[in-house]
Order: sequence, then C-alpha cells, then structure tokens
Amino acid sequence: MSVLKAQGLTKVYGSKGKMLYRALSDIDLDIQKGEFVGVMGPSGSGKTTLLNILATIDKATSGKVEIGGVDPAVLDDRKLALFRRRELGFIFQDFNLLDTLSIKENIILPLVLDNTSIKEIEKRLRQSADLLGIGAILDKRTYEVSGGQKQRAAIARAMIHQPAILLADELTGNLDSKAAKDVMDSLKDLNEQVGATIMMVTHDPFAASYCKRIVFIKDGAFFSEIRRGTNRQAFFQQILDSLSVLGGNFDELSTSRN
Amino acid sequence: MNFRQVAIKNVRGNWHQYVAYFLSSVFSVMIFFIYAAFIFHPDVEQGHIHAAKGVRSGMMFCEYIIVIFSFFFILYSMSAFLKSRKKEFGLLSLFGMTKGQMRRMVLYENVATSLLAIGAGIGLGALFAKLFFMALSNLLDMENPIRFFIAGKALLLTAVGFFALFLIITLFTLFQVGRSQIIDLLKASKKPKSPPLASFWLVLLSVCCLGAGYYMAYTMNMMNAIVYMLPVVALVVIGTFFLFTQASIIIFRWLQRRKAVYYKQTNLMTISQLVFKMKDNARILFTVSVMSAVILTASGTFYVFFLSSKEQQMDLVPQTIGYYEKGLNTHAVLDPEKVRDILKQDGVGLDYEVKLVGASAKLPVIGRSTKTTAAMIVSEDAYNEYGQKLHRNRPTLKVDPGHAVYVIPYKEVTQPLTEIGKPLHVGVDDGRMELSLTIDRQVSGGTVAYPGGVAHELLVVDTAQYEEIMLTVPDDNKTVVYGFELNHWTSAGKTAAKIEALVPPDQQTAFDNRIALYAATKQSMALTLFIGLFISILFFIASGSMIYFKLFTELEEDRDQFRSLNRIGMTLNEIRRTVTTQIAIIFFVPCFVGIVHTMFAMKALGNLLSTSAMQYSLVVVGIYIVMQSLYFLVARRSYLSKITRSFTS
Repeated sequence: MSVLKAQGLTKVYGSKGKMLYRALSDIDLDIQKGEFVGVMGPSGSGKTTLLNILATIDKATSGKVEIGGVDPAVLDDRKLALFRRRELGFIFQDFNLLDTLSIKENIILPLVLDNTSIKEIEKRLRQSADLLGIGAILDKRTYEVSGGQKQRAAIARAMIHQPAILLADELTGNLDSKAAKDVMDSLKDLNEQVGATIMMVTHDPFAASYCKRIVFIKDGAFFSEIRRGTNRQAFFQQILDSLSVLGGNFDELSTSRN
Repeated sequence: MNFRQVAIKNVRGNWHQYVAYFLSSVFSVMIFFIYAAFIFHPDVEQGHIHAAKGVRSGMMFCEYIIVIFSFFFILYSMSAFLKSRKKEFGLLSLFGMTKGQMRRMVLYENVATSLLAIGAGIGLGALFAKLFFMALSNLLDMENPIRFFIAGKALLLTAVGFFALFLIITLFTLFQVGRSQIIDLLKASKKPKSPPLASFWLVLLSVCCLGAGYYMAYTMNMMNAIVYMLPVVALVVIGTFFLFTQASIIIFRWLQRRKAVYYKQTNLMTISQLVFKMKDNARILFTVSVMSAVILTASGTFYVFFLSSKEQQMDLVPQTIGYYEKGLNTHAVLDPEKVRDILKQDGVGLDYEVKLVGASAKLPVIGRSTKTTAAMIVSEDAYNEYGQKLHRNRPTLKVDPGHAVYVIPYKEVTQPLTEIGKPLHVGVDDGRMELSLTIDRQVSGGTVAYPGGVAHELLVVDTAQYEEIMLTVPDDNKTVVYGFELNHWTSAGKTAAKIEALVPPDQQTAFDNRIALYAATKQSMALTLFIGLFISILFFIASGSMIYFKLFTELEEDRDQFRSLNRIGMTLNEIRRTVTTQIAIIFFVPCFVGIVHTMFAMKALGNLLSTSAMQYSLVVVGIYIVMQSLYFLVARRSYLSKITRSFTS
C-alpha cells in the first residue's frame, strides 16, 4: 500500500522578470507502507525543498503529492496543521525540543494538543519510551540529557501519535558518531518492530546505510536509486560508490547545516 | 558606513523593542514641557491670572515627580536594553571591537534616541499646549482663555534638563558594557533555563504579610491610622514581592500536577511557558502591580475626596437653598414668598420646601471648650417629616415626654458631645424657661434643614411637649429654618445666585446656597484631577512599556518555538490562544493585584472619611481596566503578527 506518492514535483523560485531558479524538477517518489527510504544528494540538490514540500510546509509549483490518500494542497492552513499533527511525524537536525517542557511533556505534546485522554497518553508514552530506551530520562529537562537522548526523545514525539509517515531531516547532523549510531539503531527498530514508514533526508552515508532504499537526486532531478541487500556494511560501500558517481560537494558531511 | 551610522542602524533594527520605551519617554517629555510652558507663561508668572497660582504650584510639584520617575524609568529601560543585547555585544567583541568603541556606539545610540524623544516630546507638547491651555482656562472659568505662548525658559529647561538626564543615565549604564567575557556574552541567550523553585516558607510569609496588611487596612480608623499606615504599606509591598517571585511558581506547579488540566490541549504549552516567564518577569510584574496600586489609590483618593465633599455638602446644606431667621414673620433675611416668585419666573421646579420652626435652647456639653451650646428645639413630627423627604437615611425618631434626641451635623463625630441618659438642665429662649430633659441618644450627621447659627444643633423632643414649649415663646423669638430643594439643582446656579442677591449683606451668614459651594469644590477637584490625570497616564504608559519590552525581548525565542510547533502541527489558532492567554496573564495579573490592593486602601480611606470609598473608586478601577485592556490588545496584536509572520514563508 502506498503511503506517500509524489508525481512530477517541480519547484521554481523567483518571480516574473527575474532570474528563475529551478530547485526541483519533475520528481516522482512512491513510498510504501513500512518502507525506510533515504534521500541523498549534494548541497543545493533540492533535498530540503523536497522534504519541505512533502512536509506540507512548502508548496510545489506544479506536481501532485498524496499522503495516506489525501492531497494536502486542497487543505486550508488550519486543516493542514491538523493534518501534520495527525498524519506526519517530524524529526529535525536541531531536535526542536522545548526548554520549558520536560522530556516526557515534549514527547506527549502531539497527543495533548489533540486532547487525548490521560490514560491513553500514559499508555502510548510507556510503549514509545520502552521502544526507544528513554524510560529513565522522562522526567529530566532538555538540558540535562545528551544529544543522542534528545534526538531519541524527538523520535518518540514524532511517532507517539502513530503518524502515516515519519519525516527526518539530517537527524544525525548534530550528533557524534556514537550517538548517531544509537539514534539510527532506534530508528531501525522502529521501522522493523513497529513497521513505521520513514523517509529520511541525509548527507551522512553512515546514517543512510540504515535505509532499505536510497534515492539520489542532483540539481533538483532524480539521479539514481539503490536498494539494500542483507549486509549493511556492503550497502555502506555501495552508497559511497554512488556518491562518487554523483559527484558534487560532500566534504561537509555531518557538519552543521540547516 | 561610519560608526555613527552603525549606531543608528542598530536603533532602527531594534525598533520593535525600543518603541514602547521611546513613546513613554516622548510622553514624559511632552507632559513636562506642557507643564513648564504653563509655569513659565508670562501671564501666569506675573500673576495676571489670579486663579492660576495654586495650579502653578501643583504643577511644579508634578514636574518633580516626572523627573524623579523618568530617572528611574529610563535607567531601568536602558540597562534592560543592554542586557537583552548581550549576544550582539559578544559578537562585536569577537570581531575585535574594543570596549571603548562599544561604549561609544551605545553612547551614540542613546544620544540619537534621546534627541529624537526630546524633539518629538517638545514638538507634540507645543502642538497640544494650546489645547491644554484652553482646557485649563475652561476649568478656571476664565473669560479670556490663556493665550498661546511658549516661554523660552520652558523650552530650554525641558530640552537641556532631559538631555542631561538621558546623558547621565547613559553614562551610568555604560559601565555595564564590555565587562563580561566574550564567551559568556555569546552563550547568554543559549543558557538553558532551569525550572524555577519556590520556598514554601516564603510563600507563607507572602500570604501572612498580605493577610496582615489587608486586615489592618480593613480595620483602620481615625484612632490607629497613623500607627497603621506605614506598616500596612510595607507589609503589602513585601507580600506582593513574594507573591510574584514565589507564590506564582507554587500555583503553576500545582496546576502542572493536575494532569486533567495540564494535559488538556494548549494548556501544556501555556502553563509550562508561563512558569518560565513568571520567573523572569516576577520583578517587573511586582513593580507594575505596586505602580498600579499607587496610580489607582492616588486617583481613587482624589475621586473619593471629590465625591465625599459633595456628600458632605448634601449633609451640611440639605436643601439647595437654606437660611434661618429669628422671628416667625420678620423675614430679616429673605421672604420665602420672594424665593417662590423667582423660582416661578425662572421656571425652576421645586422638589419640596422646609419650614422648621423651633425655640432656641442652651444645654450643657462635655469635651468642648465651652460649658454650654446653643441648640434648636424641634418636634419629632417635624424632624421625621423632613428627614424622610431627604432620602438620606435619617432615622425616624420616637421621643417620650421629658426626653430628647441630640442631633449634630457631622457624621464623623461619633463620641457623645453631651451627657447621654442623665437629666440635663436646658434653658429655653434665653433662659426665660427652664426644662429638665434626658438625652436618649446623639444622632451624628442628622441634619434635616440648613444647620446655621442657632439651628446648628437640634434638640428633638416629643411633639406634645414641643407644642407646650412653643406656647411660652413669643413669635418674634422663635427660630425658623427655611429650605428649598430644587429639581436638577446642579444646573440651577443662576437662579440660586439671583436669590442670594436678595439677601442683605449683613445677613449673608444666615444664608447658604449649595450650588455655589458645589461649584467651588467641583472646580478645584476638576483641576486636581486634570493635572493629576497626566501623571497617572505617564505612570500607566511607562508600566505598560516595561511589560511590552519584556515581551519583545522574549519574542525571538518564542518565535522559534512556535515555528517548530507549527511544523509539528500546532494550528495557528492554537498558537494564538496560547499567546493570548500568556500575554493576558502578564498584563492583567499585576493589574488585578493592584486593584485588590487599591480596594483595601479605599476601604481604609472609607473608614477614615466614613463614606463608602470602595464603591466610588470602582469608577476609577473601571477606567483603568479599560485602558489596560486597550494596551493588552495592541501588544497582543503586534506580538502575534510578529510571531505568525514567520510561518507563511
């Protein structure tokens, strides 16, 4: 069953009379339920633009998106926000956890906003916390925990309302390699044990090696696609090979980028 | 781009933070300038305008208040600005800007804003001075309005004075610049906020202080006022401080533990952010609530004094026109027939008429410098009849023969002025007749007709006994009090003046006209209110601007938070609701606390004046709430538009 379907997505920046800049041209993407898809490409290839359009916070110039059978383009701002809240889960590079809330409160925020009963909230919180191994830090504040723990808390927040798809943007970008591995392991568990559908935009070949399928884009257009076999090490090598074919600037790897 | 331009660009870039502070400064310069223009007005200075003398000294007093207040307000605002720009200063020193250069930049910035504020203040002041003079002339009942003239002295004093004030404060604040380490400056805004903690004992202290202060204010009276006054103020100020810094946190913590409330939609965001905002803003909120209490109590007191002096006049001159005569038909003061004629001519309606006939008497008193006092013997029937017509809660008296009720005009005097319950020796009609009367009670503030001369105090006796006494008094020795209560009396000034003109000059003391009295108090009160009003508005705007500034220093942080919340699916409406609740609490909680303080202060004032000051002051409180709401709406609107503008991109 297709969870996310994008057809002929094109995004053009600039107005009449000025230089036009084509950030995306004619991208097709189809993500099935339970898939774990990575999107890779050099800087300026249009990864973030694509993610923003799929996340419904940006609109495509032309083309069509369908998430869980709904076309977000027909929704007004309020319905769009509710759609994001119920059908999408977001994981950001800089975590976007709120200082004023404890880890637990951050995680349950989507449910609280949707007026879920307290019993249901507690139940889902326990499930997610167990799955992500953050049960011990729930009552801590955001500045009392490590980057990896923050990102796992953010993952818990992104999935606690059981969205149709999880969208992750450079989620290992601010983490050291050990924390990055922990976070990717958690994401993999989520995909394999609960069957969560995940789409992840990344620079980092190591993080990408956890995906089941990787789509490469270049200059805003589809470039190639590879699928993982059983061995992650081999897949990692395959990714590096693809990137060298793709060319472009990958020096920055996991340095800061917004 | 030179150095000065950088400074000016900084001001423009931070305009949203500056605006409330700037407007408050402009307003204080403007008010100062308008007052100065009046004080140094040649006509006023040389004493051509007689009535302006008192106004002038009142305004000079206000000028001192403005300067003192402006000093603290500007000092606070300037250092708050510098604190909010820590990160910017860190970045600048990282790029190699020296401390000296940074100080020079801040100096340029402040000089630029000060000059702008002084210029705008004086410009607006000049614009409104004419209007101000006209209003003042109107209140002073002047035939020729004060002419428009701006004295050079006023201009110089305002410009130089405020510039010096701004400069001195800037020099003060410059010490703050460049004292911290770069790394601390850069990290200043990123420093994680730890959740606030509150001490149970301090909360208890706050509750006790407020409770004790309120109790003392509530029970304040003439006797203990002097002892109580300062402790009440101190207790309430201490209580308020800990109410905001400690009790507020306890309250929010308690809310956070109640999951049914806390885990309900936007409450989670609203309450958790408020906890942190409360911690950062406790001092401001405390200052603002004390300031609100001061503004409200001061304006309320003026207003109550005005109303209570009106009330007092209603008691002291029960009918619009009142006078007394000796002799039933002599009419040495005024023939009542003439009064009726004039009323008919002018078409002024007569509500009712009083003709109280009695005999003069002398009775022994206690606690006064004299041994005896003069009083007028009247019958209980007459007293009760006229008392009911007054509609001012006069008691209905029932007196037995041989007994009497002693009536004095002042309701503040509660201690007995004569011996109660013991037979007293009373001399009637200059001692031509002697009586023994037992005073049953004293009625304070119980006049029913003009209490002048011999009718100042009344001795109400049984009607049958009264008839008996009157038989022995010849008509020419009887005392008569006349009273005419007019319909719509406040607007019958001309008619009353016409009637007053008929009274022979040597009889003026036997006559009183309430409208003239009322007009005089009304004028002085209106002047006080008018001059005080601007000071109140200044306080009000400045206290609001502190809140406003606080809101906008947090704006950037909040904006980032709300943007990510919008990404994960918080709707715009929910964000609006959260923001609105937070801003409302920050604006209205100090307002509310200030109002409660004021209510108790008014209760104390009411006790002292024996009026219901609390009810009267509700008018002032109402106006304040309306103004605060307007401020809130403006702040909310600009805040929300700043927050949500970033979403649409």
